[in-house]
Amino acid sequence: MTELIFATAQYESGDWDSAPTLPANIIDTIARYTEIAVAPTGAIVPLADDRMLRFPFLYMTGHLPVRFNDAERRNVKRFVERGGLLFVDDHNHDIDGVFHKTATEELTRTVGPLAELPNDHPLYSAFFKFDGPPTTSHELNGWGDNLVHKHLLAYQRNGRIGVLYSNKDYSSEWNYHPDSKRFQSVDNTRFAVNLIVYALTA
Amino acid sequence: MSPFARLRSVRNVLIAGVVVRAICWGATFALSMLIASAIVDLHAGLSMGERYVLTAVNIATFFAVGGTLLWRDRSVLRLHRVALWIEEQDPTLEYRLVTAVETRREAMVANRRTEQWSSVARTRAGRAVAPALAAMVVAFVAPSFVPASSLDRVLRPNPGDALDGPRRPARTASRLTPLVAQIEPPAYSGERPTSVDEPSDLRALVGSTITLRGRGDAKGIVVRTDSATIATTSRGDRWSMAYKVGARPIALRLTDGNATRIVAIEPIVDNPPTVLLVAPAHDSILRTPHGRIPLTADINDDFGVATAAFEFIVSSGEGETFTFKSGTIAAKRLDARRGSIAGVLPIDSLDLKPGDIVHLRAVARDANNISGPGVGTSETRAIRIARADEYDSVAVEAAPPADADKSVISERMLIMLAEALQNKRSSLKREAVVSESRTIAGDQKRLRRNVGEIVFTRLGGDPSGEEHTDDDPPAKAKTMEELLARADSATNVSGAALDFERGESPVVAVNKPLLEAYNAMWDASTELEVGEPARALPHMRRALAAIQKARQAERLYLRGQPPAVVVDLAKVRLIGKDKGSASKRRPLTASDSATQARADRFVAIAELATRVPAAAADSMLLLRIDVLPDNPALAAALSDAANALRRGKSDDATLALTRARRALSGAPVARDSLARWGIVP
Repeated sequence: MTELIFATAQYESGDWDSAPTLPANIIDTIARYTEIAVAPTGAIVPLADDRMLRFPFLYMTGHLPVRFNDAERRNVKRFVERGGLLFVDDHNHDIDGVFHKTATEELTRTVGPLAELPNDHPLYSAFFKFDGPPTTSHELNGWGDNLVHKHLLAYQRNGRIGVLYSNKDYSSEWNYHPDSKRFQSVDNTRFAVNLIVYALTA
Repeated sequence: MSPFARLRSVRNVLIAGVVVRAICWGATFALSMLIASAIVDLHAGLSMGERYVLTAVNIATFFAVGGTLLWRDRSVLRLHRVALWIEEQDPTLEYRLVTAVETRREAMVANRRTEQWSSVARTRAGRAVAPALAAMVVAFVAPSFVPASSLDRVLRPNPGDALDGPRRPARTASRLTPLVAQIEPPAYSGERPTSVDEPSDLRALVGSTITLRGRGDAKGIVVRTDSATIATTSRGDRWSMAYKVGARPIALRLTDGNATRIVAIEPIVDNPPTVLLVAPAHDSILRTPHGRIPLTADINDDFGVATAAFEFIVSSGEGETFTFKSGTIAAKRLDARRGSIAGVLPIDSLDLKPGDIVHLRAVARDANNISGPGVGTSETRAIRIARADEYDSVAVEAAPPADADKSVISERMLIMLAEALQNKRSSLKREAVVSESRTIAGDQKRLRRNVGEIVFTRLGGDPSGEEHTDDDPPAKAKTMEELLARADSATNVSGAALDFERGESPVVAVNKPLLEAYNAMWDASTELEVGEPARALPHMRRALAAIQKARQAERLYLRGQPPAVVVDLAKVRLIGKDKGSASKRRPLTASDSATQARADRFVAIAELATRVPAAAADSMLLLRIDVLPDNPALAAALSDAANALRRGKSDDATLALTRARRALSGAPVARDSLARWGIVP
């Protein structure tokens, strides 16, 4: 068995690298709570590159419109068909924003329609117990739509999440150096463990 | 009327008689064949192909019989043969009429009465036509004793007329045979309805209505899908059922007592339009937000494009604050299978600021009002307005070359000078060679001094500290590391010795090649000073290569490689205060379990094919429906095999089953080892 590499998806149209310290933070979190063998640094993998199929979990974010090119669209479809989990987070934390519109449109076109994920889905108990997707400070501070999104969206294939879509802006919430965790009374990145555990085991 | 005019009139009467008789006999024979075909079809049930052949034979019979008679009586066209025929009817002419025709001397028969020739001709023609006409009348009346539907099946064979065929004896009859399917595509497609006799495997556009029809009452006939029962209705002596084609393949199972029948339905999906954005062809960066950009896109669709337009989104802002505005340009209604749209993107009116991005694409929607509309989009082009602080990276302003670039140019020039000197060395005196070589050495020395200044300036030291004057050169460093360490020491960058083994800092990476170049230039100028350009050239080329390497290093290190955070896993492993636990796992099915299940079904069906081909064909159709969404090659092979089995062509079925086996198992793949995930090689 090889170690998990936290992979950030690079796509042509938008600012895919808008949360540069998030991967290290999540890697730190995985090591902090689990014994999953994880690489100390993340990888950046272009969606248009076939090598993206070698990762079980891909993280994708951005603020700008998401428009896949043909190769990206083809690979994302294959990735999901092969059992990978693509986690897409709207860094714009805006339910009616352009990232949301374009990303959901593109994902629907690529893999299929996204539907609300029930808050008792096994994802929320894959490691830590949650009553639904954890809220983020960015949802509550008036930056975006000032709404708490009660559900994540997902495309499920054969009962398994293939694409998980979030308006919660975890990209802002988790985008800090892992050393700064010591300043927080409650680790707000724990949900990432559920994502990884679910991706590796479900 | 003159004798010759009378003769021509007689000929015309005879010709008319011959033609009418030929037509009548031809029609009589053709109608007789038709009636015979209808009677055979009534009892044996001819296939559509056989009926097409019989129709062709009927037509051929008409022309063959009629043509034969016309050919036999072709002599009626010649005037002298008609004259002979008249001589035969009126012997008193004693060949004067024939002689007059052949010699063209009408005066020979000028005094003869000719009226009787016409009456004899009319009588003869009437006698010839009468029996043919009578036979034809009989042939036209006879079909009324044959069922009209049978005649229609032979006269106009067409898919869907199986219900008009012969009825089986009641004891063995099943209302599921004959069976006719009518496919009516959705109106938006513009396609015409089609019918299929004895359907087993249908393809229809999503949204089409498929109507299955059979003989008899609907009572007792059950039509089921996997999840529902479909109602059947009666009308006259026919039963029917209708099914609206959805997006998924489906098998209709028809049951009538002990008789069963399967009809597989494969949906044809209306693909969204394909859109090609022709102009602009590339992403671009504009220095100022002015101008008009022409737009062109080509659009194709399988059933027709309804509307098309260009869509744009303008994103403004940076960091966490972005705003957007969007719009459409050149919206157009096409109502055709292919077309193009054109427009202009007015940059001025978009009120763009530096850093704004216009995301532009073409979008087309088809006319699918059943499962659509299908939306096709082109690739997206990004048109960005440059910020003032990024002009260097986007190269919108002319600028002098960087120092290292200038050094490259200079060193290349010196190499050319040295090579030229070496080439003409044999024709020069030694003094001239030394003089010119020393001139090059002087330039090489100045260039070396420039490179040294670049390194010292970057390291934060005194640019003039490397070399004060030509008369007071510092001792040449023995090694490149020594020189770099000397530079590093001079600038107090670090107190420790530089570690060249475990990786290089950007400072070292950029400056190390420059110092290699510096050393090489030193060696080159030494050789040039003593008039040896041949020995100097290798050092000069080494210097050039080193400068180029330095330029590449600058690109790599000085332009935005994000700092990599390496997590100390050993330090943080399991120190989290919260303790989670992995939830109870469901056992995972093997990824290829579905393939294995299909393989098992396939083997069972192949075995069944040798014993009960009809049942195997039905099983193949059911398997085909299951595999259609993700293995179309296998589905096609199964369809071929089922059809071959139904036709009793076992060789064709075997070949199709071989194809199916290959499609099921995939091509053999040779691997060196198991694939690994998680590593980008």
